[in-house]
Amino acid sequence: MRSIRGSIRAVRALGASVALALSLAGCSNELPAPIPTAHPDATVPRRGGTLTSASFGDLRTLDPANVGDGLVVQMLEEMFAGLVDYDQDGKIYPDLADHWTVSDDGTSLRFVLREGVRFHDGEEVTADDVKRSVERALHPTAPNPYSSYFASIVGYTDFTEKKAEHLEGVSVEGRYVVTFKLDKPDAAFLPLLAMHPLRPVCRSGGTRYLDTWHPCGAGPFKLLPGGWDRGRQITLVRHEGYFRPGLPYLDEVRFLFHVNQTSQRFKFTTGDLDILRDFLSPDLPRFQADPRWKAFGEYELDKQLAGLAMNTEMAPFDNVELRRAVATALDREQLTLVRAANLRPAWFPVPPAVEGYDPTLKGQHFDLAEALEHMKRAGYPYDPVTRTGGYPHPIPYLTYSQGLDEYMVQVTQQQLARIGIRLDVRIVNYAAFLALRGRRHQVAFGPAFWTQDYPEAGSFLEPLFHSKSINDEDSNNSAFYKNPRVDELIDRARRELDRGRRMKIYGEAQELICDEAPWAFTHHYRFYAQWHPYVHDYKPHPMWTTDPRGTWVDRLAGPVAARALFSGDALAKLFGDGP
Amino acid sequence: MIQRLARRLAWAVFVVWATVTLAFVVSHALPSDPARMVAGPQARPQDIARIRKELGLDQSLFVQYTRFMGRLLHVGPSDPAALAKEHATCAAIVGPLHLDLGKSAQQRRPVVTILAERLPRTIVLALAAAFVQVLLGVGAGVLAASRKKTAVDHLAVGASLLGISAPTFVIGLFFQWLFAHRLGLLPLDGWGETFFDHVRSVILPALTLGVFGAAYYTRLVRDEMIGQLAQDYVRTARAKGLSRVAVVLRHALRNAMMPIVTILGVDVGTLVGGAIVTESIFRWPGLGSLSVTAMLDRDGPVIMGCVIVTSIAVVASTIAVDFAYAALDPRVRAER
Repeated sequence: MRSIRGSIRAVRALGASVALALSLAGCSNELPAPIPTAHPDATVPRRGGTLTSASFGDLRTLDPANVGDGLVVQMLEEMFAGLVDYDQDGKIYPDLADHWTVSDDGTSLRFVLREGVRFHDGEEVTADDVKRSVERALHPTAPNPYSSYFASIVGYTDFTEKKAEHLEGVSVEGRYVVTFKLDKPDAAFLPLLAMHPLRPVCRSGGTRYLDTWHPCGAGPFKLLPGGWDRGRQITLVRHEGYFRPGLPYLDEVRFLFHVNQTSQRFKFTTGDLDILRDFLSPDLPRFQADPRWKAFGEYELDKQLAGLAMNTEMAPFDNVELRRAVATALDREQLTLVRAANLRPAWFPVPPAVEGYDPTLKGQHFDLAEALEHMKRAGYPYDPVTRTGGYPHPIPYLTYSQGLDEYMVQVTQQQLARIGIRLDVRIVNYAAFLALRGRRHQVAFGPAFWTQDYPEAGSFLEPLFHSKSINDEDSNNSAFYKNPRVDELIDRARRELDRGRRMKIYGEAQELICDEAPWAFTHHYRFYAQWHPYVHDYKPHPMWTTDPRGTWVDRLAGPVAARALFSGDALAKLFGDGP
Repeated sequence: MIQRLARRLAWAVFVVWATVTLAFVVSHALPSDPARMVAGPQARPQDIARIRKELGLDQSLFVQYTRFMGRLLHVGPSDPAALAKEHATCAAIVGPLHLDLGKSAQQRRPVVTILAERLPRTIVLALAAAFVQVLLGVGAGVLAASRKKTAVDHLAVGASLLGISAPTFVIGLFFQWLFAHRLGLLPLDGWGETFFDHVRSVILPALTLGVFGAAYYTRLVRDEMIGQLAQDYVRTARAKGLSRVAVVLRHALRNAMMPIVTILGVDVGTLVGGAIVTESIFRWPGLGSLSVTAMLDRDGPVIMGCVIVTSIAVVASTIAVDFAYAALDPRVRAER
């Protein structure tokens, strides 16, 4: 008896100490106050200061000809200006180009450059630099993962197979005029050109890609020698010769790498970080619910699509009714509660922030009774009362560790059990997952996701659902979906230069895809950015996460981090409210 | 002595070679594609194929292995300034002897350059952590043993239990929260700019690793010391009139050191291989975080570089332990 009581006491003591430790480690539920702006009345942007943000990821390379991950685009955007770029609304505007004209047949784009634009090294940006940079990025010696996106430029094949010394389709017509010739009309060319791979680089970049080149472009910020401390941080400083007068306001933009969410939170509340994007999952709702913080946070646009890809070449998903059953059985509203602050339900293959999104389309929907009907038509009737019938074998489901799907699949599993589909979940690491899901006849069922390359429906439909994106290895069409009608529509849309007509074609393709359900679309992920009140005119950018050219900071003098410095009342701080 | 050293060295070379070969085969057998990891999850097959070829990954495993081994140590121009294109990823070690670990697929830099950045920082952390763990562990163990079954003993044993049970990420996060965030005494993470920064930055990760490691040492030293203190020679020494402190420290501890030295040797070797969790928490730019990233990204040349460094460190520290035995124990010297 005594021993039992003794152990209960021990457990209680342990529980109390764990609770104490947790309350210490979690600080209190109360968020610290934001750091105010120094001059609340200031309306004119103030020059100077540093804007610091962080990521748990790392930067691998810094060259427009080698854009390997989502993190580097932020740095590239700050360092390299392009002929055209995306504005805050996701619309294309002339940047290094003063203006451009497109020929009537859509196969020729003529750009007239601004005069007097300077690279970071002081040289002027000319049409020769544009051509040289394009050839540098598309030459086969460059490890450019986007090279084939530009295959519609005349002479691309000869150039990339080293049969031609120069790229025929890019011609210099004077110091400030350059023309791109395409072998067919391509509605995606301008959107692709506005991305980073072909942006002009300084003459030091040469005519061929070199690993050892020090990055240099014509963007608003530049990298000084030693400015990139690998694996730790990068600091970009203002390009004094930037062609837009008065911009940028900031002296420096700094980015820290490998900072986990806990450290980001600590650094943010002490003002060592000015912007927070990677939240601990319980933290985000707290920031959003706090009136002191609410005005200084904003969602970034949904530009990602996630769903469950069903391999249409493999049993049982070669049966279209079974795919329809899965697509109709998923309760997206419930599924997105897994991370309610970041996820929104998806019903279409095109995310809400992307051109071609059309909520008036039928799309996919959730209807349990209808899903059971599809099961019956598929030949696997299921009786939810007696729990008999359904698909007789567990379906192998391949997912990857340490991702959101590890949690979501547990909900998926329960939702599909309601229509008689059982999942056999297998978890592998991310690299293995990527390799396996792109291999033919390998994975029957699993999560799939895509982020826009450029903000238009084609950026999703073509790689994911066109049969030309099927390959025996590394297939981006991971459902191995093939429908000649869908192919034809996507091809036609890409050639159609009229925006309205193009969207209509994409709408028709979306209806077919939603109905035949190679994917069950589940959710869109959207990031939330939180900043301190002393950060002004910060806006999430639809393409590049942020465009800090117009951002300015107005902090009190001296390091605000001093708030956290040790002082006499350390103990009071420790158990009190603290910094 | 010389002959023994030569024998041990030959054995060490074999062990390192075997480890590297095994790692090479295993990392190629994994169902994943390094070229895909370089190109990104959305790249098209034709671009991935071009990058695969550029990285030499389209060659057979045997060709890749013989190339790697052939380049590993070779003779080239001794003047680093004269390094031609074919020696762009080499480091000249002694005279014309070159070490070439290839180029990182992800970072596109020579692996030797990356290791040269990371290794010193890892060694600093490993030595600092080993120092903390010996100091705390042996100190607490000796105290506990010499005050057996007193409050001191219970405290030391209890604390060690806590230390062993709490994983490094709990200890690390707690230290980070308390000393860096709450009290602001030490940097939250990173490595810093100046020497003073480096010293301040190493304290928390070294303490985290040290506290975790020290717990084990405390138990080991305590048990060993209790055994030693019960021996006849201790009683004899006391009877001779030696002070208790002198007996405990000079005689019993010296005899109890043997297992400690063994463990310490292996520990230092492993620590040089990288304290993965601790390095991640404290953003310590060492080998641990490097090797994890390389594994996740399937960056073969970097994985090989980390394996080579780690296996050399472990083998070298084992040899050092072996010779430390001889120094500590005359009987070992006599036997050989």
